[in-house]
Amino acid sequence: MRIAFTLVILFASAIYTYAAFTDLNFLSSTGRLGPGFFPRIIGGGLICVCVLDLAIGFFRPREPVAGSEHTQTVIVVATLSALFVAALGVIGGYPAMFAFIFAILMILNRARPVQNGVIALLLPSAIYLLFDVWLNASVPRGILLERWLG
Amino acid sequence: MELFDNLLLGMSVALTPTNLLFLMIGAIVGMIVGIIPGFGPSAGLAILLPITFGMDPISAVVMLAAIYYAAMYGGTITSILLNTPGESSTVASTFDGYPLATQGRAGPALVMQAVASFVGGTVGVILITLLAPLFSQLARSFGPPEYFLFAIAGLLLLIVMLGENRILGVISALIGFSLGTVGVDLETGMQRFTFGSAELIGGIEFIPIAIGLFGLGEIFYSFFQGIHRSESGGIVQYQREKRFWPEARDFIDTRITMVRGSLVGFTIGVLPGAGATIASLVSYTIEKSSSRTPEKFGKGAMAGLVAPEAANNAASAGAMVPLLTLGIPGSASTAVLLAAFLLWGLRPGPLLMTQNPEFAWGLIASMYLGNAALLALNIFAIPLFVRMIQIPYRLLAPAVIVVCTIGTFSVHSSMIETALMLVAGVVGFFMKLLGFSPAATVLALVLGPLAEETLRQSLTISRGSFAIFIERPASLTIIIVALAIMMLASLTRRSRPS
Repeated sequence: MRIAFTLVILFASAIYTYAAFTDLNFLSSTGRLGPGFFPRIIGGGLICVCVLDLAIGFFRPREPVAGSEHTQTVIVVATLSALFVAALGVIGGYPAMFAFIFAILMILNRARPVQNGVIALLLPSAIYLLFDVWLNASVPRGILLERWLG
Repeated sequence: MELFDNLLLGMSVALTPTNLLFLMIGAIVGMIVGIIPGFGPSAGLAILLPITFGMDPISAVVMLAAIYYAAMYGGTITSILLNTPGESSTVASTFDGYPLATQGRAGPALVMQAVASFVGGTVGVILITLLAPLFSQLARSFGPPEYFLFAIAGLLLLIVMLGENRILGVISALIGFSLGTVGVDLETGMQRFTFGSAELIGGIEFIPIAIGLFGLGEIFYSFFQGIHRSESGGIVQYQREKRFWPEARDFIDTRITMVRGSLVGFTIGVLPGAGATIASLVSYTIEKSSSRTPEKFGKGAMAGLVAPEAANNAASAGAMVPLLTLGIPGSASTAVLLAAFLLWGLRPGPLLMTQNPEFAWGLIASMYLGNAALLALNIFAIPLFVRMIQIPYRLLAPAVIVVCTIGTFSVHSSMIETALMLVAGVVGFFMKLLGFSPAATVLALVLGPLAEETLRQSLTISRGSFAIFIERPASLTIIIVALAIMMLASLTRRSRPS
């Protein structure tokens, strides 16, 4: 997994360095160090260090990353978080919060549905008081809510 | 006399009801952040930063600074009672703190750590009061080469502390630097790596990255480790009876240790990149090597707990010196504080203390008050905070995810930034899993633009010659000191008990 992650970074670094060399000038029109100076150093450095890391891993294989019986939980939590973010823009902050908290607690805290429901109601209320009332900060309203309100 | 006047000004700013209220809120929140394993002050600061935008800047920075140094107090509670450091700078406290607890001395250990933290924090603030104006004057003589070296030395020191994962630390830092180049080049006005996107013209925002890497990433990693399954068992019980209080010999035997730890911690904390973690480990090593009974260390020596505790709090105060006088953060936590200052339109640096004295001295004065408040909180409210450890993580984590998400959105009402935070959270999880350093990435993201600007200026001044970094006495001094500290830090890591 670590080799794959390093390869992804290496690939991204290659694109970054390519863009630095082709789109950005090393010197500016006045002869001073231009916008491409620093990115070329960073990109080149990234490529070199990634290759070095891969080479070290090849000649001195490291211990594989220890697995976990909770990998599925991580995937579920991350997926629900992504759906929560997506839902923010559609159904609005408060409905999305309620749905997310209730759903995730029903997976993590399955034995206590009433507790989960209470928390799912209380937390968005606390967020409302903190962000909307006290801080006057915006919480997403959602496309559907805005259409309904006209 | 001017010093006294400045301190009075600071006290007049800090002692308003509003600022005192936010100081207490910050102290309590910081304790909680420190207590929850997996959350450090950097995560707590990043997550709570959006909440401060509607506040007065002085109140906001007083609260954020209180969170920062209060986390050092809170993190030790779990070190002592659970043998699990609440955050990285309290790792050294487990070496002797937990053995003390298992010997039935949890109460005295908790009280002594509070006293040591108070001494360290107060000594640190006194030294800030004395040194910050001097440092500020000295910093006015610094030029681009010195600023560049401070920025790079800070990062290198952080990477050295990663031990075997140094190469991954370098990769993490370079990723942060590359993210910092996205946007408009200030010297030429040319767009870099925006790929035609209007959102990227302003650059990669710091807050979604910091919240994602430190907040979400940490949560995903904690689930991976199965923390949500534990029921917080294994807490060593302590009792509120006469054995709760330390004996007189505990204070007498460790009085020199507290002062020595404070001075060591502050000195290391001032160095960018060193941080409270290195300070606590170095202080522990020094204390053990200078003790007449080194064989007791690691088995419940009170000095082994007091030394790192005084050091980490003094270091957190010391880290404020380069932040306020140079505008260079020395750690991920102070990087978040710097981001906060910039968002409020304040420019930390040599002129901050003269142009915004009420801000700088108000902050320093609040640290005196904060340390006193935390001493009282730690001693008398420990049962309350111990209860926090007992809240199941599976109930806490969803709340934190929600706060992270809504907090990120509230900054610029941007769904793009919220999505970026989520992506950073996934990347942060893999970084933690695979041994990379999210802290190095965040620090490099903040320091990158400064490093680039000062490097270009330095090479323009020297007409392309890198010798400028050796020819200037100040630059050469910085290089030598940084190398010495890196070697010391390297040796310190090897002397840690297994």
